[in-house]
Amino acid sequence: MEEFLQQLTNGLAVGGIYALIALGYTMVYGVLKLINFAHGDLFTIGAYLGFTVFAALGLSGHVSGAVAVLLVTTMVMGLVALIGYLLERVAYRPLRSSSRLSAVVSALGASIFFQNAVMLIYGAKFQVYPNDIRPTMAVSFFGMDIPLVRIMMFGASVALMLLLHFFIHRTRTGTAIRAVAIDQGAAKLMGIDVNRVIALVFMIGPALGGAAGVMVGLYYGQIDFTMGWVYGLKAFTAAILGGIGNIPGAMVGGLLLGVIEALGAAYISIAWKDAIAFLVLILILIIRPTGLLGERVADKI
Amino acid sequence: MKGVVRLLAVCMVTSLLMAATAFAAGPVRVGLMCPLTGKWASEGQDMRNIVELLAEEVNKAGGINGNKVELIVEDDGGDPRTAALAAQKLSTSGVTAVIGTYGSAVTEASQNIYDEAGIAQIATGSTNVRLTEKGLKLFLRTCPRDDEQGRVAAKVIKSKGYKAVALLHDNSSYAKGLADETKALLDKDGTKIVFYDALTPGERDYTAILTKLKAANPDIIFFTGYYPEVGMLLRQKVEMKWNVPMMGGDAANNLDLVKIAGKPAAKGYFFLSPPVPQDFDTAEAKAFLAAYKAKHNALPNSVWSVLAGDAFKVIVEAVQKGGKADGASIATYLKTQLKNYPGLSGQISFNEKGDRVGDLYRVYDVNAEGEFVLQR
Amino acid sequence: MISRKASYAGLAVLIAVLPLFLDPYWTDVCVSIGLYAVLALSLNLILGQAGLFHMGHAAFYAVGAYTAAILNTVYHVPVLWTMPVAGLLAALFALVVARPIIHLRGDYLLIVTIGIVEIVRIALINNVFGITGGANGIFGISRPMLFGYKISKPIQFYYLIWTWVAISILLFRRLECSRFGRALNYIKEDDVAAEGSGVDTAYYKLAAFVLGALWAGMTGTFYAAKMTIISPESFSFWESVVLFAIVILGGGSNRGVLLGAFLLIGLPELFRDFASARMLIFGLAMVVMMIFRPQGMLPPLPRKYRIDNLLRTKEAA
Repeated sequence: MEEFLQQLTNGLAVGGIYALIALGYTMVYGVLKLINFAHGDLFTIGAYLGFTVFAALGLSGHVSGAVAVLLVTTMVMGLVALIGYLLERVAYRPLRSSSRLSAVVSALGASIFFQNAVMLIYGAKFQVYPNDIRPTMAVSFFGMDIPLVRIMMFGASVALMLLLHFFIHRTRTGTAIRAVAIDQGAAKLMGIDVNRVIALVFMIGPALGGAAGVMVGLYYGQIDFTMGWVYGLKAFTAAILGGIGNIPGAMVGGLLLGVIEALGAAYISIAWKDAIAFLVLILILIIRPTGLLGERVADKI
Repeated sequence: MKGVVRLLAVCMVTSLLMAATAFAAGPVRVGLMCPLTGKWASEGQDMRNIVELLAEEVNKAGGINGNKVELIVEDDGGDPRTAALAAQKLSTSGVTAVIGTYGSAVTEASQNIYDEAGIAQIATGSTNVRLTEKGLKLFLRTCPRDDEQGRVAAKVIKSKGYKAVALLHDNSSYAKGLADETKALLDKDGTKIVFYDALTPGERDYTAILTKLKAANPDIIFFTGYYPEVGMLLRQKVEMKWNVPMMGGDAANNLDLVKIAGKPAAKGYFFLSPPVPQDFDTAEAKAFLAAYKAKHNALPNSVWSVLAGDAFKVIVEAVQKGGKADGASIATYLKTQLKNYPGLSGQISFNEKGDRVGDLYRVYDVNAEGEFVLQR
Repeated sequence: MISRKASYAGLAVLIAVLPLFLDPYWTDVCVSIGLYAVLALSLNLILGQAGLFHMGHAAFYAVGAYTAAILNTVYHVPVLWTMPVAGLLAALFALVVARPIIHLRGDYLLIVTIGIVEIVRIALINNVFGITGGANGIFGISRPMLFGYKISKPIQFYYLIWTWVAISILLFRRLECSRFGRALNYIKEDDVAAEGSGVDTAYYKLAAFVLGALWAGMTGTFYAAKMTIISPESFSFWESVVLFAIVILGGGSNRGVLLGAFLLIGLPELFRDFASARMLIFGLAMVVMMIFRPQGMLPPLPRKYRIDNLLRTKEAA
């Protein structure tokens, strides 16, 4: 039982990260019906930017850990939001009227570009985040030792998600985003500036992804330029699991995927962990394509 | 029509002449195939630095029998397909011997190509047993083999008195090979293997695996994979407040693992490896490392790149003493006439299979300062 | 506009004489180009003609290559004889795997196919059923023997592969001009309308997958014989991406696919010295291509129907 609970918490912590990245995917898909392959790489860029900022500011020792982290995360979120905006303007906006396939290929190209740009700028070796910022205590909980950092990570993820939820459902801009997601044409007729909304989505989504990147860097310590690929695919699975286009769905999907992975690793086999995650994806799409909370994705012919 | 024929004839003759001059007594061409890009880029770059420095020194001292040494470097990207193309490229560039590479699967992809082209190949970081069991006459290696490492691993586990062993690998051909070798020997001895599974390299979160390991209650974890994962495992293990000792194989031999794990977590970890550069005690090794440090401001990160240097040195020796620079002569000289050559990593001799003879593996501990300390 | 026949004739002559001017390294590159060209042609059936977003083609290719390898090393079946079996198994695999997902909408099909290729790769690494050799892969695959002639040098593989390319182009072209091809074209344009017109879309989509897989599987045999060792890393998602890009950037016509293969496989070899930057350029090129020429470089020519044939048959009737 103890092992089960421990694995559960492991899964939830990882799931929090998946959820944050999944939010970016789901928001972009909602408004543009596009799978932004480059999103995973925006996550990586966030992690690397965080690394650079930490190194440049040399904060450790001057400012307390929590403040430093907050500062850096905010800066990184801003920077990644900017990159997200540029990505949309350069690679996706010109293709708005073209077939879906072109946008997908463009997204792939952008992903490759970002990944290799990171490699060229930072080198092929992985980089390590400064170690002294993270607290190392663990909290004892039902006989398990959960590192405080994990709880903080999980808490931060949930906080950001709640913030987003509030934004989407309680503000005018949020309503505009929802409107564009439902029907772009009608939203235009209602006087909503669709371009602005899309640009906004491409700033918020990547910003969340960037925050996730910083968290991963802080917690695991090691970042390399290929990490966006696996995280991106898993986060996408999470988004589909919860129902793509659906924000609460992404959150639920992320946490659920994290738990499924952890339990799968524990009780089935570690070596097949990723395969289990993909299998879940395929099964969901076959059995319940709407995802747990979401929209219709299959046209039954 | 006549004009065309004449033009063609001129072209043919010119190209033949050019080819002929290329093969006349001229520079000795040695190839280096290494991972300059990809996941092992830091190994490859060290390899290149070391061999280039050695080549410079040889040329400054007058070359081999008066001929200059020309080094041609190709990137194998750490993956078999790119390696096959790199091998093709090198085999058409006039080299007679190739040094490389790191990674058994990558080396394997290039073996047949060099063999068919008559080029001697000396692998430097490929320990899979299979590579020298195929009867390839022109293949040698300056690195030891997995079965020797497995033997030493089982010996060390027994001598330290561990009774319940957890074996973890990462499904790469090297790590699984080593885990299997060790498992076979431990089974024969009757030591209990309480856990045997693989993790996915490149993942970050190993807490699920560590939790599962913890439930199996081992005395020691032997993870045979590469240093990035070692660092992550050590770090996450300490976070779980689990103090079980951990050991590794020679792929853990890279100082970056301390960077990732953090000094407190890395303390007490030990691994098997040929001696690291700092512990080489011959005068030549010390002199070379001093020169390297002067040029690159740091010592090489791992012993594998130094083994590449040794491969270069034995090639030079074979051409110098044997007089001939073609692949077959080099290989034959190395296998039959080279005895106890003083290389950077110790004395080098090869057996008929092309394996390096001698006991190379030692145990290294990581101390509280994050340094690798040789256990003599 | 160069006529189709003329351009193929010219191409054929060029390809026939090219190896005489190239050294073994470049011949080897051309063999790679040939292999990718055939694989891309088989993907073209699924992606270009039927319009199904498929990024898991490496999985079919892998099944074919591994089948050939296992049959050859364990049961000592000569390599070329394993081709039909490899193709058949790949086709069967496609049938089993594609059947449940065939009705998914575009982007979801894409993601599922990615999932499939990853699962296949992980299964191969984990030595599923104990026969795939795990991460080591399978080694010692013998060279093909064609009528007693052993094919081992790059130049010999070159001619073998490019003959295969020629056969593939001929067959795929025939398929495109047939009733089957027209049905696929209709499905690509608008599958609801196609269903409404009586075209059994599920059957045709599945058939496209199966045929594409069959061809990829057979080509896998060539790959196994050429490399003599195969390992799971050669069949990663990245390979699927490259094939996908060849088809899309090439445009979907057979000549476009050939051009795409030359550019995407040949160019990076030319720029080997800039190894690290070449992927960057690759990504950038993809984005730029999509913005400025989304239909690809050589999109399929619009279908022509000769009316005089119709008139003639009407008169005869």
